[in-house]
Amino acid sequence: MLSEQILADLKQITGEEHVLTSPEDLICYSYDGTFHDSLPEAVINPGTTEEVSAILALCNRKGVPVIARGMASGLAAATVPVDGGLVLNLVRMNRILELDRANMMVTVEAGIITADLQAHVEKLGLFYPPDPSSIKHSTIGGNIACNAGGPRCLKYGITGDYVMGLEVVLADGRVFRTGGKAIKNVTGYDLTSLFVGSEGTLGIITQATLRLIALPEAKRTARAVFPHLDDASKAVNEILWGGVVPATLELMDETAINAVEDYLHLGLPREAEAMLVIETDGDQSDATRDMEVIANICRNGGASEFRVAENQEQSDELWRARRSISGSLGRKRPNKLGEDISVPRSAIPDTIKGIKEISRQRDLPIVIFGHAGDGNLHPNILFDKNDEEEWERVQAAIGDLFALSVSVGGTLSGEHGVGTLKKPYLESDLGPIAIDVMRSIRQALDPKGILNPGKIFDMVDNADNQ
Amino acid sequence: MSETLSETLAFHSSEMVASNEHASCIRCGLCLATCPVYRVTLRETDTPRGKIALLHAVQEGRLDPGESFASRFYDCLLCGACANVCPSGVELEEILQAARDDLSQHKLQPEALARLGRTIWEHHNISGEDNAHRLIWTENMPAPPLGAEPKETADVAYFVGCVGSFFPRSYRLPQTMAQLLDKSGADYALLGGEEWCCGYPLLINGQVDEAGELIQHNLAKVQEMGATKVVFTCPSCLHIWHRVYTKVAGGSLPFELLHATEYLAELVEEGKLEFEPQRAQRVTYHDPCDLGRKEGIFEAPRRVLEAIPGIELVEMVDNRADSHCCGGGGNLETFDPDLSHAVSDRRLGQAQEIEAQVIASACQQCERTLTEAARRNRVRIRVMDVAELALRALKE
Repeated sequence: MLSEQILADLKQITGEEHVLTSPEDLICYSYDGTFHDSLPEAVINPGTTEEVSAILALCNRKGVPVIARGMASGLAAATVPVDGGLVLNLVRMNRILELDRANMMVTVEAGIITADLQAHVEKLGLFYPPDPSSIKHSTIGGNIACNAGGPRCLKYGITGDYVMGLEVVLADGRVFRTGGKAIKNVTGYDLTSLFVGSEGTLGIITQATLRLIALPEAKRTARAVFPHLDDASKAVNEILWGGVVPATLELMDETAINAVEDYLHLGLPREAEAMLVIETDGDQSDATRDMEVIANICRNGGASEFRVAENQEQSDELWRARRSISGSLGRKRPNKLGEDISVPRSAIPDTIKGIKEISRQRDLPIVIFGHAGDGNLHPNILFDKNDEEEWERVQAAIGDLFALSVSVGGTLSGEHGVGTLKKPYLESDLGPIAIDVMRSIRQALDPKGILNPGKIFDMVDNADNQ
Repeated sequence: MSETLSETLAFHSSEMVASNEHASCIRCGLCLATCPVYRVTLRETDTPRGKIALLHAVQEGRLDPGESFASRFYDCLLCGACANVCPSGVELEEILQAARDDLSQHKLQPEALARLGRTIWEHHNISGEDNAHRLIWTENMPAPPLGAEPKETADVAYFVGCVGSFFPRSYRLPQTMAQLLDKSGADYALLGGEEWCCGYPLLINGQVDEAGELIQHNLAKVQEMGATKVVFTCPSCLHIWHRVYTKVAGGSLPFELLHATEYLAELVEEGKLEFEPQRAQRVTYHDPCDLGRKEGIFEAPRRVLEAIPGIELVEMVDNRADSHCCGGGGNLETFDPDLSHAVSDRRLGQAQEIEAQVIASACQQCERTLTEAARRNRVRIRVMDVAELALRALKE
């Protein structure tokens, strides 16, 4: 599909050194943070919106699939080039274009690493709250395209809640801006929200204007250990009923506690059914008082231990434990599949019980952790991809997990997105009409189907073939 | 074409990647955040994750390991920052090293490295000069160091390393260290022409057998001296002695291995070196990869600096185990000086961010690359060894 002529034209746009076609390059741009891979035909590293526009105009004319990619930390195989085509690698576009202190907004290019953006604004006393676990190895463009969450979204909301406006390159190469710096803005359809979470299927996000808030003065971090999972879950509700909104309320079940403990040897309570990692923030007195309220609730609600970090090191250690769960699973089995079902908060205990039942029935280790405050759970199935029989059980277990989530009033994905992995289950959650509406939108914006084809849903209804 | 290289000779590194005996890469991407090379080039092929994917492809027969494949493994500082953060515990240092060993076996290593190997083999040092001139750096000192005097035995052997011995820009380090040793009254000796290259450049390029002879020689000479301590100013020499010499000697050595900063900290704490108040200055300490992350020596150099009145020790954003390579690791400068410089510039930027006036370090290589970075960028930051700061502050 990518003829010599097209490659030559692409090289004209970005310069030869930014078009990659060696076998080594193609292998290295064939994957994301999942175990899926598929080779692209070429990789291009544009440096400006104009270059992105020219690339898309060309690819649209020639019918070349374009797969936008940042640092490829995604967990839904959304940037894996399943149909070959051209990987549009946006990491060179990583500048901060404007920091508007008066309006507390920052405008950045899509390829900036989210942690770099955060560190930059924090130096000025400003705060960009969304904190996906991949914050150091993912880009803001990827975060927006997947509408990433993170532990802090309980109090502060998700990525999309901070996106004020976008610069988008459409499939045919036209460039336009959505939204802007006006906080109230109901002029026309909310196109910003349309592109947030669109996983590179509707247009290429090249710039974003993000809302910032004042950096909280103080933080308190604590761990609460619960011998019984039900008590942990009840405590979460009690805390929120109590009028306290902690910045984070993270849950690790015994499988996650043990996986991290095997790796880091932090002295985590291996026998406990659940551990909560809790953070409060605000001014000094708020953060401290909120933590005292939470401590009382937990202690009266069955916690066997409640320990507040005494210094930054202890706090960092707790967060290191929480952020290391996913990676530490590679020590257990060769492959892992991390889901991110999202359920109503009240359904967490039943969901966890259900997951454990699936684990037993399918005879697969499933590690559970997640954001207890908002019901977003991360069951991670551990397996060996080379064992075909086991892989069949994994696929069955995934179906079970999604069915479980939908049955308790939840949904397939809280923050990873659909990509390739959840595509087969989409209709079970959304129903045919919602998918039909999405198809119409996608058809209108990308009539030739060049943008990340094969992701989220197919353009042709395959129901008849199934 | 006849059979491919991967069919004629095994790639041990790719076997390590594919084997279930070793922790596997789950492609989380955490190593991208800390890999100093990726942070400059933004190329996935330069990332540890990418290199693992390439080795996988070789193992599965999807990729023929040729020059283009090989070059990816030399765009690497061997700084170990990736292994430090890998949550899956992938043995990245071992794998990246094994890959270089494989490439050397397959004659896919860069010519400059092959040449360096021959030089060391013939001359017992990296510069190609007559190894009998190992003490040339002592010649323009105000007084010859006591350690240069011929003696049969000594309590401490000071292993200077090739760079300090033969590269005029680095003479200052052994000169400084020798003066400090003289002042402390330590019973020490230099090995002179009997000091051979520690073997590091051969070992990191897969010439293991050639390194063996150097190792045996150095071990024998130190043992003949009856030393109870061997002191190193070069972290790479120390690292190789610790990791490889110990193994060659059967698991333990009859003497203690100390980095200069550890020995200096000891001398300061025993009251054998005392400091006078200095002009106030902000000093940041750059952890060399081989000393910090790989040898776990973080506090000794800081203890020496903190003992000098007037020095305000400030930390760069990447410090201790998370230290950022100076750009001088892994011979990268030999293959891609621009890339190596860009890494140095980034590290220099971290020192500028905290308004340090001095970058103190404990490795002649880090000091050279960072000095050049400061000069290239016209930045007024001095780069000095911890030992130099100690010598300047010494009470007369």
